[in-house]
Amino acid sequence: MTSAVYTNDRRRWRGPKFVLAIPAIIWYLLFFIIPIAFVVVYSFGTKDTSRLLPVDLGKLTTANYSQVFDDTFFKTFKATLRIAIVATLLCLGIGLPVAYFTAFKVSEKWRVVILTLVVVPSFTSFLIRTVAWRIPLAPNGEFSRWLVDLGVIGDRGIQLLETQTAVQIAIVYNYLGFMILPLFVALDRIDVRMREASKDLGAGRIATFIGVTLPLAGPGIAAGVLLTFIPMCGDYVTATVLGGAKGNMIGSMIASQFSQAQNWPLGSAMAVLMIGAVLLVLASGALLVWLVPFILKALQPVTQSIRRSIAERSLASSKGDKPSTARGIDVMRIVFAIWTILVLLFMFIPILLVLRHSFNSGSSFSIWAGHTSTKWWGELFASGATWAMISRFLVIIGVVLLVRRVLLARGNVSKRVTSWMGPLAFLLAFVVNGVASDWFRDIFDFAGIGDSIRNSFTAAIGATLVAVILGGLSGVALARRPGAWTKIFMATVFLILVTPEIMDAIALVTWFQRVGDVPVLGYLFKNGLGPFNGGMHKLWVGQSLYASAVVTLIVRARLAGLDEALEEAAGDLGATPARAFRQITLPLISSALIAGALLSFTLCLDNAVISTLVSEAGSTTFPVALLGATKSTIKPFWGVGAVMLFMITMGALAFVAVVLRRSGESSSDIAATLAGG
Amino acid sequence: MTQDHTPPQLRMLAPESFREKLSRRAIFKMGSAAAGLAIVVAACGGDDNSSPSTDGAPDTTDGGSPLASGDWSRVINAATGTLAMYTWGDYNDPELVGKQAEGALGVSMKVDYFNSNEDLITKLATSNGSSGFDIVVPTGPYIPQMIDKGLIQKFDKTLIPNMVNVDQAYLAQEWDPTNDYSVCKNWGTTGFMWDSSVITKDLVTWQDFFDACMNEASGMCSVLDTGPNLWGAWCWANGKDWNSTDDADLDACENFLVEELAQHIKKFDSYPSTALAEGAYTLSMAWNGDARQAYYRIIEAGGDPSVWKWALGTPTTELWMDNYCIAAGAPNAEAAHAWINWECIPEISIQDLQYHGYHTGMRDMATLISELAPDLDRGEMIFFDEAQVAMMTTQEITTAIDRQVEMLNKMKAKAGA
Repeated sequence: MTSAVYTNDRRRWRGPKFVLAIPAIIWYLLFFIIPIAFVVVYSFGTKDTSRLLPVDLGKLTTANYSQVFDDTFFKTFKATLRIAIVATLLCLGIGLPVAYFTAFKVSEKWRVVILTLVVVPSFTSFLIRTVAWRIPLAPNGEFSRWLVDLGVIGDRGIQLLETQTAVQIAIVYNYLGFMILPLFVALDRIDVRMREASKDLGAGRIATFIGVTLPLAGPGIAAGVLLTFIPMCGDYVTATVLGGAKGNMIGSMIASQFSQAQNWPLGSAMAVLMIGAVLLVLASGALLVWLVPFILKALQPVTQSIRRSIAERSLASSKGDKPSTARGIDVMRIVFAIWTILVLLFMFIPILLVLRHSFNSGSSFSIWAGHTSTKWWGELFASGATWAMISRFLVIIGVVLLVRRVLLARGNVSKRVTSWMGPLAFLLAFVVNGVASDWFRDIFDFAGIGDSIRNSFTAAIGATLVAVILGGLSGVALARRPGAWTKIFMATVFLILVTPEIMDAIALVTWFQRVGDVPVLGYLFKNGLGPFNGGMHKLWVGQSLYASAVVTLIVRARLAGLDEALEEAAGDLGATPARAFRQITLPLISSALIAGALLSFTLCLDNAVISTLVSEAGSTTFPVALLGATKSTIKPFWGVGAVMLFMITMGALAFVAVVLRRSGESSSDIAATLAGG
Repeated sequence: MTQDHTPPQLRMLAPESFREKLSRRAIFKMGSAAAGLAIVVAACGGDDNSSPSTDGAPDTTDGGSPLASGDWSRVINAATGTLAMYTWGDYNDPELVGKQAEGALGVSMKVDYFNSNEDLITKLATSNGSSGFDIVVPTGPYIPQMIDKGLIQKFDKTLIPNMVNVDQAYLAQEWDPTNDYSVCKNWGTTGFMWDSSVITKDLVTWQDFFDACMNEASGMCSVLDTGPNLWGAWCWANGKDWNSTDDADLDACENFLVEELAQHIKKFDSYPSTALAEGAYTLSMAWNGDARQAYYRIIEAGGDPSVWKWALGTPTTELWMDNYCIAAGAPNAEAAHAWINWECIPEISIQDLQYHGYHTGMRDMATLISELAPDLDRGEMIFFDEAQVAMMTTQEITTAIDRQVEMLNKMKAKAGA
């Protein structure tokens, strides 16, 4: 009797089903739905440059839409979609063998190595990698001259820079990792027994792949396509850096409507149509996939006859030469291995170039001036502070290791203490160095870009925190308390994912302007708080939108596979919902939260489009500053900055990995986490 | 002549040997110590016996750089904190913006870049006066609308006494007749640069430029990424006034740019120097300073600079002037004034000039260069004779500006199709 009353009490206490999603709902309403609605309204306005916000909403018109359809602008739309579709298919074609090879053909150890190698390039600045493609593509560059000397190409060298082909290459490169990882995760989850059963039932390797593996990997393929195609459509950076007039994409065209032409209504109309176009392509893609079984069924008589003839032929050939199959498998494996190595090399080309060109003796990053020089690195190592810092690190860690050794020799301390000493020593050295010297300042002040590196981290960490909190809570709510609200919420999340970044950027920039004088809401964005200025708050909001949507999906997927029995048991045992959440749910979703945090951290660190529009003086991030520099000359010290940013990121990740390992997660879990799954 | 023993505070024309001992920092300190008196450092104009010191003049990174002779104001006002500048790409000597500003003014500078005046206006307009920028660098004709929209604030001219060093020819411009809001940072002009091994004929007029672009350099030609400049080039080629708002002309221009020229354009590139050196273009419309940079890049890339030619398009070309202004709501207006004032000191101004390659508007420029930067390379791309200056015209913002920008957009769409 009492327990029943208890339960009822608890149920009533819970409030509405979407209570955990309330923070996300408020956030999306304030910073996505309302701002985007304004952009939709602008698209019916007329241009009026005499106003501060150059839109006249006095007379609403659809002229902007007809202008987009009438004009040659429409061709850019089509070109953009073509580039994105081709690039998505290329990513799929290039990435699938790699994912397949990694999932099925290598040992656990090599799997971790390959996945790490796929992930690592994405921790180098997206923008600098794109700029680095100028180096091998330049007609006067060494690579081009070398090809000319070999007689492979004509005297004028490689003629790819500032063309659509250059954009196509770089865009495939930029998004390949985002295709390989979801494909791998999907393939890795396939039960090997399914494939074995297929083979036992007489299916060949190709038949197994098409009939069993591919359908089971469907969700992974869908995720990969979404993660690559949508950002490609809105991509602004690649076309701006490499595209020239012929490689213009709609993202940069929309951006130039807002900034250069100050034609906000037309830009808004383009952005709205662009979302429509992206949704249309995705819908037709989905329709195509849905139709595949029907098409296959219709074609069954044909395929079966083909299959039969193949089977007969292989039977005939296997009679003659039995071991050929065994050798065949080896050949396939070697082919896959070579392919994977080539793809990994491709992914590292720009990174190696960035490293090399940070030692360029010339004054331009992309033009190699003949010999190496440490002058751009010199600024960083000019003062003795760097060496003092390194020696402090070595001394402190050395001392701690010595103490640890002594403690271990005595053998009377718990393993817990000794295993945590390494990371703690590192932290201690970090703090001591910060207190004892100005080395943070020395490193972060060099060449004037240190600030941007620091801002990048402040922005990315803040936005990731927001994303993890919002996405974690709403992910739990979606999985645990589904209801009528789920559909609306999921539609919003999907809309956030498909909205091109440039549209978010514009929506937010005008929104912040509007709410600037609203009490409470506007205060943070206008005046800032504590050490963070208004621009930093704007960055947190802007970068957290896409990231929180991604975290939501990851957490929801993780919880969908687990039933609620554990939480209910905790409740029955008298735990409050808060306690049940803390002690049961949180540990269950921790790996999803870490995966989501890593993914959003990477995305936020590279964010250029939203950040460029919303940032202010004093909150300029590395990609924003670099994007500014791409407009004139990129000095080699940007390469130095990119390498620094990369090393700091890798250092932080290594630290996180060590801490996770010490707290008991297995290495394969960590690998899986790093791989985004 | 310079052997007299007048204290350096009053007579800055010190002997050669003494000058070398004076570090740059020391000179500044003297300047700031005497700032209250607003000393105008006087020197005997003659300075007959010594040729201006030629050693090490262009390299200004360390001490020992000479001072210009003549009647110059060198007031330095110290300030504190950070100073945020929003400017065009690669537009100040990094040494000046970095260590020297910190040493002389006591401010640490942060510089961000924009790509067009419209970018700048959008950034300021959408941030409610809280953009955080102190100094912005708009082009002259855009200043009136920035004043109207309340995006920039009035100078406190008592904090910019060195403005007297600026040539009268570059003060009191149409957009700000009293220089209450702006002062010339530098000015430049527009021309084109071509690879004479590909385009063998000599290019002189803007019509020649268009012809080459549509023939020998088709698909290997870049133009500036600004609407008014493309409209301007068409006007100059066809003998029209680029400040006219004649609809028939605008239509004819749009028709030419979109239907005829666009398909031959490789890129709309306002800073073609790097891509020129990479070998991406054989013909580029460029601002003089960037074209000058291109020669250095071409040498670095192992190319042959002698095949590259540069010309100001005839019969008419533009004169544009970028100006220092102080943003409305600037967090550190004091430092902003200090920086602007500092940049009006001839030695600082010439140091900057040597970096970006544009005329900074100082008076007696010829003397300054011969004394402070005698080794300056390709000066003919920075300074122009009277005949050349006579063919330069300044842009006015007319009602046709929207059409000009629109043309560029249509051109881009056409070029990409």
